[in-house]
Amino acid sequence: MAHQAHAYHMVDPSPWPLTGAIAALLMTSGLAVWFHQHSMILMAIGTVLMLLTMYQWWRDIVREGTFQGHHTPPVQKGLRYGMILFITSEVFFFLGFFWAFYHASLAPTPELGGCWPPTGIFTLDPLEVPLLNTAVLLASGVTVTWAHHSMMGGDRKQAIQSLTMTIVLGFYFTVLQAMEYVDAPFTIGDGVYGATFFVATGFHGLHVMIGSIFLAVCLLRQIKHHFTSGHHFGFEAAAWYWHFVDVVWLFLYVSIYWWGS
Amino acid sequence: MNHLLKVPVLAQRAFSISARQLKNKVPDAQKIFQEANGLPVHIKGGVRDVLMYRATMALTIGGTFYSIYWLVYCAFPHSKA
Repeated sequence: MAHQAHAYHMVDPSPWPLTGAIAALLMTSGLAVWFHQHSMILMAIGTVLMLLTMYQWWRDIVREGTFQGHHTPPVQKGLRYGMILFITSEVFFFLGFFWAFYHASLAPTPELGGCWPPTGIFTLDPLEVPLLNTAVLLASGVTVTWAHHSMMGGDRKQAIQSLTMTIVLGFYFTVLQAMEYVDAPFTIGDGVYGATFFVATGFHGLHVMIGSIFLAVCLLRQIKHHFTSGHHFGFEAAAWYWHFVDVVWLFLYVSIYWWGS
Repeated sequence: MNHLLKVPVLAQRAFSISARQLKNKVPDAQKIFQEANGLPVHIKGGVRDVLMYRATMALTIGGTFYSIYWLVYCAFPHSKA
């Protein structure tokens, strides 16, 4: 059997980049077909293909790292760089929406009544559910750190418990925010206030859901003994992502909910 | 809201039982995926892998042709009968 004389990972040929690219094609062209021809089939195929690609690609990474031992220290360093760069790109994504919010709110136009919040907009009280949501996410930041320390200390039971608590808190945030969305006195169509509010908080909520799923996968892997006290990068990546989601919320809360009210 | 305070206690009870019962199957998986059979990782797990790969590829190729069908359809004018 051939052995490599280096510590890097030469990946097996994989079909998932192709299927993922085609999924993107089908989802986007499917969106256009839905708009113009009123058929959702192409978009649905694209979505299913995207989910299949994500499941199998990430399943393969778990196999390569946990079962085949390919994630040596230099490889793990590369994965760390990759996750940091990805989160940085997401920071820039949210920066754009914050730019839009501040552009509209620092110099409100006459059409809005020359004031912020605009005339006729009844804002949400920042000291009610939004404050609870802040507490929930901050608490989840504590529990995910607790999970990490438990994992590093080899405490399997506490790692599982605190990771579960983190996911429950994330789910609680999502439910509270969904209720806020339903009961809000303004909609996404209510001028630039509604647009900036729902697009910024909406994308944030989507990221909370993604982060919760990432953490849930880590919980499943922790239960299945995939992580060791010295090697658990998948979980660290999930924790980094979760802290990022928490920080975005803090900026949203201070800017849109508090200053913008 | 107060009933939520019971979550940590319940989680402790539930997970301390199930956590002990779950056997560590990682060494078995390591044996399967390190077997020198020349298979790439995406189908090295067995029949389930192959079936899922074939289903995914069928959707990929079928979907590509379906999107080209719509592209050709949209490229021509259609009378509103």
